[in-house]
Amino acid sequence: MPRENMTQWDDKLYQKVDRYNLVPNLDECLQCGKCTGNCPVAALHPSYNPRQIVHDILLGELDRVLQSEEIWRCLWCANCYRVCPVDIHYPLLMMQLRYLALENGYGLKYVTPINKYAYRSLECGLTFVPGKKGVEKIKGLREGIGVEPWPKVSKKAIHEYGEIFKQTGAYDWMKALDEVQAKGEEKPVTLTFLGGRLVDERYDTEEGN
Amino acid sequence: MSAMTQKRVIKPQERIPQIPEKIFLFRSCTGSMEYPGTEHCVEFVLKKLGIEVVKDPDQSCCSGYILTCSGYPAEPSLAVTARNLAMVEQKYGLDTYVFCNGCFGYNKELKHILDHHPEYKNMANDLIGQWGYHYEGTSTVYHVQELYSLLLDRIKENVVRPLTGLRVASHYGCHYLAQQYGILDEGDMPTFHEEIYEALGATPVFYKERRMCCAYAVGRGFTHPENVVQPHLARKFDSAKAEGVEIMTTTCPGCNVALDREQPKLKKRGFGPYDIPVVDLGQLIALALGAPIEEIGFNANSTPVEPVLKKLGFFKDDYGVWERRFVNE
Ligand code: SF4
Ligand code: SF4
Repeated sequence: MPRENMTQWDDKLYQKVDRYNLVPNLDECLQCGKCTGNCPVAALHPSYNPRQIVHDILLGELDRVLQSEEIWRCLWCANCYRVCPVDIHYPLLMMQLRYLALENGYGLKYVTPINKYAYRSLECGLTFVPGKKGVEKIKGLREGIGVEPWPKVSKKAIHEYGEIFKQTGAYDWMKALDEVQAKGEEKPVTLTFLGGRLVDERYDTEEGN
Repeated sequence: MSAMTQKRVIKPQERIPQIPEKIFLFRSCTGSMEYPGTEHCVEFVLKKLGIEVVKDPDQSCCSGYILTCSGYPAEPSLAVTARNLAMVEQKYGLDTYVFCNGCFGYNKELKHILDHHPEYKNMANDLIGQWGYHYEGTSTVYHVQELYSLLLDRIKENVVRPLTGLRVASHYGCHYLAQQYGILDEGDMPTFHEEIYEALGATPVFYKERRMCCAYAVGRGFTHPENVVQPHLARKFDSAKAEGVEIMTTTCPGCNVALDREQPKLKKRGFGPYDIPVVDLGQLIALALGAPIEEIGFNANSTPVEPVLKKLGFFKDDYGVWERRFVNE
């Protein structure tokens, strides 16, 4: 990994990461390290350090955080959040940090394996529908215990679920991931976030963008 | 207010002030597909305990899992949450009960965002308004494990197959325990599952890594099976094995997949073997409350539950039907 130089710093990194304004108290971090002390991944891999990641984001060490493979190891168990004395919601920070990494061409391979399930969820209204063989097995198991062979999800539910993905631009987002993946190398993905402003321009306020 | 100063022990009566007569049960995708017995047993148990259960095919997936994998942006999940909860509020006026910690964590987290960021709530309402929904946020999202705890006495009264001598250990799951917007008991040292095991006649067993997560959230089972998930789970099971755990329960089909289906893989890598079957808490209660063994759905498990059933005196008769040998009921 190339060492970062001064030009790769970004003072506004914090705002860029927290695009949904879900972790507005990040700058209250005490650097106490309770998160790291309580983190099961840090226990396995000392190079993964949530306290350091918060520090790097606040200082604006753009490339160091985005290029790191470590950020993809977080399990989202929220043990860090639970013990944080100032209630920093680290998991929601991590989710958004990963968006930024994808946009900068890092970590695509950690998201694309799940993409096909996202597509299937639009067809079925259920997440983690397996392939044909898996579906047959499920039907057998379900009939064996005396319930309907497939969970009841109405056409209306599936239609509306799919429409929500289309109308929020999430479907285009998924396609963008696919396209970059098809090129076979790690490339920045162009992702659009609407940030609560998608349907009505009334919500397009100056601050918070 | 910081979580550090909040009251840490919440009793079931504080969490659910009144025993509901009727609840809306939120379907779990992983539950429906990986362990269909889970939902079936939850319904069996609640019916036995006198609670009416309503489900609705118009409910969709909570959409939270792939969101937290950073697989799509947050807007669709906010709208999906608003849609599902608005549907329940408008159609039934009931509170929503989930039986999956994933559904619990995502619905609560997204509901919290909707309720505290008017711009997201407006966005979601504008979007779902086209189908006639309007999300108010008047109902609450609970987990059925909280209801079990509230109905502990009714459970005790209804036990027909005491699980005497069975060494049961808990896995609460981090998407329940880490919830800061209200959970039962205490996030650090919860014991309400253990109280339920006792009510069923079983022996609760505490092990060191009881609080440790299942490692399957945010897709790490797909992306980091070898360097994160498996060594992490090995630590958990090592400590469970050291305490002589015979069966473990979950309250999340997702956790159940991780803890159950990873065990054969751990064995291949030289960890263990542990051979600790992992079932849903609802399935264990249903077993004690007399549900037909075939309907509990233990056959969906990768780490077989049969040894535990045999220990409890169950056997398959000549026709392949489960029977119980010594009847101490
Ligand atoms: S526990 Fe909270 S305050 Fe302490 S270092 Fe971690 S994020 Fe910062
Ligand atoms: S959510 Fe991530 S950083 Fe926090 S304790 Fe869990 S694995 Fe560690």
